Formats: sequence, C-alpha cells, structure tokens
Amino acid sequence: MAMQITPDLQENIKNFEELFSDCEDIKKRRIKVGKHLDRECYIAYIEVAISNVDWKDSAVGKFLEKLRMLPETELVDYVRENVYDVSDAKPFETIEDAAQGMLTGDALFFLEGYNKALKIPDKGYPGRGVYETESEKVIRGSNEGFSESIKLNTALIRKRLRSPHVKVKESFVGRRTNTNVDLVYMKDLIYPGILEEIERRLGEFEIDGTLDSGIIEQLTEKRKYSPFPQFQTTQRPDRAAMAILEGRIVLLSDNSPVALILPTTYNSFIQTSDDYYSRWEIASFTRVLRYAASFLAMVLPGLYLAMTNFHTQILPTALLLSLAASRQGVPFPAMVEVFIMEIAFELLREAGVRLPGANGNTIGIVGGLIIGQAAVDANIVSPIVVIVVALTALCSFAVPNEEFATAFRILKFMFIFLCGSLGFFGFLIGLLAVLIHLSHLESFGIPYLTPFVGADLNGYTDERDTFLRLPLDFLKKRPLYTREDARIRLKLGQEEKRKGEGK
Amino acid sequence: MFADNFKISLRQIRRLLVLDIFGVSSLMLPGIFSAMTGADGVFCLLFGMAGGVLLLWLMGANMKHFEGGYYDYMKDVMGQIIADIFMVFYLLYFVALSGYVLYELTALTLGWLLPEGSFFWISLLLLLLAVYGSIRGIEGRARVYEIIFWFLGIPLLLMLVLAMPMVNTSYWTPIVASDSVQLFKGSVSVLIFLLPLSALLFLKPFCKKAEKLASCGREALFTVTFINIVIYLILLGIFGQNAMGVLKRPVLTLMGMINLPGGFFTRQDVLMTAVWFFALFALLNTGIFQGSLVLKELCHDSKRNYSIYLVAILSFFIGKGLFEHQFLVEIYEIYQSCIALPGMFLVLLVLLLVYQIRMGKKQGKEKVMDVEE
Repeated sequence: MAMQITPDLQENIKNFEELFSDCEDIKKRRIKVGKHLDRECYIAYIEVAISNVDWKDSAVGKFLEKLRMLPETELVDYVRENVYDVSDAKPFETIEDAAQGMLTGDALFFLEGYNKALKIPDKGYPGRGVYETESEKVIRGSNEGFSESIKLNTALIRKRLRSPHVKVKESFVGRRTNTNVDLVYMKDLIYPGILEEIERRLGEFEIDGTLDSGIIEQLTEKRKYSPFPQFQTTQRPDRAAMAILEGRIVLLSDNSPVALILPTTYNSFIQTSDDYYSRWEIASFTRVLRYAASFLAMVLPGLYLAMTNFHTQILPTALLLSLAASRQGVPFPAMVEVFIMEIAFELLREAGVRLPGANGNTIGIVGGLIIGQAAVDANIVSPIVVIVVALTALCSFAVPNEEFATAFRILKFMFIFLCGSLGFFGFLIGLLAVLIHLSHLESFGIPYLTPFVGADLNGYTDERDTFLRLPLDFLKKRPLYTREDARIRLKLGQEEKRKGEGK
Repeated sequence: MFADNFKISLRQIRRLLVLDIFGVSSLMLPGIFSAMTGADGVFCLLFGMAGGVLLLWLMGANMKHFEGGYYDYMKDVMGQIIADIFMVFYLLYFVALSGYVLYELTALTLGWLLPEGSFFWISLLLLLLAVYGSIRGIEGRARVYEIIFWFLGIPLLLMLVLAMPMVNTSYWTPIVASDSVQLFKGSVSVLIFLLPLSALLFLKPFCKKAEKLASCGREALFTVTFINIVIYLILLGIFGQNAMGVLKRPVLTLMGMINLPGGFFTRQDVLMTAVWFFALFALLNTGIFQGSLVLKELCHDSKRNYSIYLVAILSFFIGKGLFEHQFLVEIYEIYQSCIALPGMFLVLLVLLLVYQIRMGKKQGKEKVMDVEE
C-alpha cells in the first residue's frame, strides 16, 4: 500500500529514509526556512543530478532563497499556491510517487505542515549533450545526433517541427528501470490505428528493465524470427523529423540515442536524409547503387561459387583460366575458402568495433592488408576470393542502416551454403525464399516491399521515390503511411493562385 | 490497417496470370508446334487465344451471378451433390497440374541447372518453398509475383531483341500449309496451357474489383499470346521447323546462343533459366494454393493448413510418377485434352444454362403472380 504524505515532516522523512536506506548516492538535507528560520524542510536529491556545489543559481537554490524571506505562517500557502512558479515542478501525494519523481533526476522538497512533496527540476542526470552521429553520416545536412537524454531528443525533434500538431505521448516501460518512452507523431498525419497498435504492443509485456530502444524493438516486433528489422532506427533528429512528416511515429527511449521509426519498409531503409537535400540526379544514382549493394551484399559470394563451381560455361575462357590459375595451390574447396574468408572478415569487423577508436583502425590495416596478403601468399585463399569478400563487405557498408545491413550479412551465409552445394539452382531457391519471406513481412500492417507491391494503394505515386528519387516537384504526395486525407505535401504555383484570388 | 485484408489488386492478379500461363506454354509449345504445324503455329496460338477468350467469357458470365465464393454459387445452382462433383473435378485438375509442373520444374533443374541432382531432393526443396509461399495466404503470394514480374520481363525482352538479327525470315514459310486436324490439335494444345486461367473463378472473394476479373484475365491472355507469338517466330526464324523439332526446350537453347554485347558472359542460358524457373514455380504455387483452396471448401475447414500439405504431398507423388514413368506423361496429356479441357467448358456452360433456366422460370412465376394479383 502506498504511503501517504502527511503534514508531519518527521513521519515523511522517516518513511522516505526507510525507502532509501543504504543509498549513499542520495543526498538528504534538513534545512530551516522562513524569515526567522524556524520552519524545517527536507530536501533529497541524487548526487551529481543537482548542482550541489553552489545552489544559488539553481532552481532549488532560488526556491529556498524565496522561502527564507517569507514569514513562517505564509510558507505552506505560498508553496501550495505558487508551485508552478518553478518550471516543471510537480507535487506528489505519496512517498512512492515522490521517490519515482526524484529518480528522474530532480530534487524532492518536503515542508513541515504541507501534505505533499514537491519535485523541483534542476540540471538532471549527466549526459553527453548534442554530438555528431557516429553512424548515418551525410554529405549535406545537419550533423546533430540524438543523445541519451529523452528530453533532449524530443527537443531536437520539436526544434525541427514547430507545429502544435506534433504530439508527444509519454509512457514508462520496465518495472525496475521505469524507463521513459515517448511516442512522437504528427496528430493530423498518422494513419488511424497505428498509434493504438504500438501502445497495445508496449502494454503487452512486462519486463524488469529496458536499457535501450533495442529491447523495446525486439519485444514489440511481430515476426521475431525474421532477420529483417521491422522498425527503422535512426540517430539523426532530421531523419526522425522527416519520418514524422511522412505520418510515421518515432519512438524514443530514455538512455538510448537510437530512435525507432514505425512503420517501415525495405525502401525506407535504403533512403538517407541527404537524398532529399541533394539534387535528384545524384540522389537517384546513389539510390540505385544502394539497392544493388543490398542485393550483392547478400548474394555475391554465393554467385561466385555457383559460377566457378557449377556453371563455368557462363564465363569467358580467358577469365575462367585466370580464375583457375589464381586458385592453384589452394588446398580447400572453394566453398570452404569463401567461408573462411567471410568468417575472418566478420571477426575483423567485430574486433574493429570493440576496440577503442585508434586501435580499431589498426585492426583494419592489420587484418585487411597484412593478414589478407599473408593468407594469399601462403595459398590459404586465392586473390579472387579476397576480392569477392572485400566487394561484399563494401556492399554491406553501402547499406545506410546497420540493422538492415546485418540481415544481408546473415543471409549471405545461407547463399554461400546453397550456391556452394546446389549452384545456380541454390541461388534461385535462396532468392525465392527471401522474396517470399519479404512478401509476407509487414511492419504495422504496411507490406515490407511497398511501394514495389501494392503501389495502387497510393495511386502509384510512391514509386517516384524508390530506385530513382524524382525531382521534388514530382513528390507531391506523402507516402502510404500517412492518413488518406492528408497525403498532399507539396503544392506548386501558390503565388500565382494567390494573385488570381486577389484579382 | 493496410494489409491482412486478404484482398489483392487487379494488377497483382494480372501479373500472376501472365507468369502462370507464360512459363509452361513458352517452354513447351514451340516444340509441339514444330512437330505439327510449322509456321502455322502462330495460327494455333491465335485460335487457342480465341478459345481462351471463350473460356473467359463463360467464366465472366458465371461470375456476374455470384457475390461470394464459386462453390456457394455452384451449390445454389446445381445443388450440393453436383457442386461437390464439380469441386472434385477442379481439385483433380489443380492437383494434377501442380504434380505436372513439379515434374517439369524438376526436369528443367536437372537438365539445365543441376544435372547431377536427384529428383527427390530437388522436388522436395521446391515443394517446401511452394508450401511456404502458400501458407500465408494469397496476399503474400501475389506480392512475390508482382515484384518479380519486371525483373523477369526486362531481361527476357532484352534477349529477344538481341536475338532478332539472327532470324532468317525464309524459315517462316510455307504458311497455311497445315491441315485442319493439325491446326485443331495445335490449338487444343494451346488451350490446355491456358486452363490455369480458371483459377480466376476462385479468386473473386479475394479481389478488390471483382467485376473486372474477366477483363483482367483477357489482358493477361493477350499479353502472353503476344509474347508467345514473338518467341515462336524468333525460334522458327533461327532454328527452322526441323531443327526445332529435335530440341527439347528450344527457347532455352536460344538463350544460350545469344551473345551479349561486352563479352563478359559467353552463355547466359543458365542465367535466363531463372525466367522459366520463376514462372513455373508461380504455376506450381498456383496449383497448390488453388487445390488447397478447393479442398478446404470441400472439407468445410477454412482455417487449417492441412489441405496445403495434402495437396503438396499428392503433387509430389504425381510429379515423381511422371518423372519415372513416361506412359504417365501420356496419360496426363490424355487427361488434359479429353477430361480437363472439355470439362472446364462443360462445367461453366452447364452452370450458366441451369442458372438461366432457373432465372427464366422464376421470372415467369413472378409474372404469373403479378398477373393474378
């Protein structure tokens, strides 16, 4: 049962300190306030979250300063009536709620004779601030990235979308972590039912803690065994804002710099922010490259095996002889050779990620140049396999979203096995399996392969932003994610229209 | 929300039908024509198309009279027992079709892609994939073929354009040299390959604009006939009637002969096999899906997937039988031309006539009642 806060300060302190016994990081102070300093109050806060060196300039300090100037008889009335003078101050009626309030990083204030506790915000938990994103680099456009503070992240979105239609729905996930989760969306753009669906899914599980949005992503995905992500992730506020403008929902989780975007499609994973900031020719060219890269990242080693082991008649004789010569002396079958190289490359990638910055680069040089060359010299692998594996890696790096690229990295091994043992038949079987899987896959009701399938649902306009990104003049309609009556996003010739109306 | 409404668009149906009837017809018909009619194969394709149009007209005329499923319509018109007999006829057709396509697809794989493979493993893999494709319903199935349509169409178009300079038009003559029996047999062969169009009858509850189903079928039919005529004329112009007669799959042989500019690939028949592989797989999938749909309705069990497994298992045994015993292929051909083909027309015709007679009687009664009143 919840412990009610009473006007008896001593009882409140007793209850509160019982709750936080053996918590040395929580600072508790008894302070005298009032003109004659004869009324006691109690302040509790988490060390570091409040400016405890110099209170004068902090919200807590200013609040206490004011209380010290008032007569004792007016203190309770003043606090009761002027609670909201302090920005984001919030009164609580139970010790448990007050404790939760304090754990969000704010100070808690109890006053003798006042039957509530007051949460007074200050600088909050330490965080990184706004930094450049590590992934999703762009040539043109903002370099701001999300940080671990959810408040900062919502502000970064709000900074870009200054509209009252942008709504932020707050909830808490994790029984012990009580992690703040925000759903950010444009009220008049989201498709009916999607917000309710994500809220339903968030309410479907109970977990002790969520420390990153990745946990929420996995717990709310419908097809858990699919290698393909059903949420898009981003660390870029401009990407998130762009998604909101398309009628999608952005899910932010406290302590995570990665926002989840829903619903999502194959096409949206291939798009980047600067596709829309750059001219359409270069945007389309890189788009085609990325599509090709996503396919080749999955099938290139497999196709190499199918062509060189099963269907040599496809290749010109000169190339075939050159390939055969390069394999001379290699003791392993081609499939094992490719497999060894791919595993070695994955190890290098993993080591590069785990090691600190400068060392990570060294691993790339040591692994890529020295070990690769040594392996070729020692006849463990042939040079052509090194080229194939390196090209495959390049392709996987060209896919803009890391989670999405991972799906192709995993499927690549399936293709190596299928093509290595069944040739081009294995390739076709694998391709059909992936296609069938992708055709069945949906993200919040949107087919994953939209707009290549079901393009009629939005009058075939979504196809203008797929392989090619047509000039912005052609992208007048929002994608299928948006509610049906709000799909127009660009109107041209408005000046002439206004002039016409004026006449 | 958006998906999971178990409805598919006309574009999806059209593409599905094109792949269904294109794959097996373009693979088999040139060989059949070269043995029978020579250059007059083009007329067989046109006569066959006319037969297809008639079939679609009969289907359209019947489809106008029902809102729900085809089975319910048959029950309303003919009664439960005859409707069940008709459904068994359709079930047999789709099961036999999927068995035959499995045999053809496996033979294609063994002949062009994996000569050292075993029928058992190849057909098992194909069936597993077809079951996986069917199990999640018609929406996912339609999406697969909607997406691969152009991926197959563009390379095929490119190859046909590249083959055109090799055509010797003198091989296109003599024209109108076949007798009427040969022309009839050729046209019947074409019509047999068009029978998968009858799947449309069962698609009405799944289609968004169901009133346009028959015209959607016609568009698919015209498209495939056009492509088949182009392919046949190119094949005839390159190989001539006699040489084409000895080739097992002339269109695939042609794909191996075309030289791509640039010279990176010397032979692309293996790569181009993908076009027919996907098209035949589409038909296999259609056979299994439609067969399971009919079986589900017959067993009044709309939720479970047992019917898909059962149709797949039956297809496997039919395919295996056809692969191991040549006489079964001949029996299958007799079944197609003597039972399936006339049966398809007959069922639709009987349904239409009985419906018209009943409606006539009903209207007559109403008139009498009006007069009496």
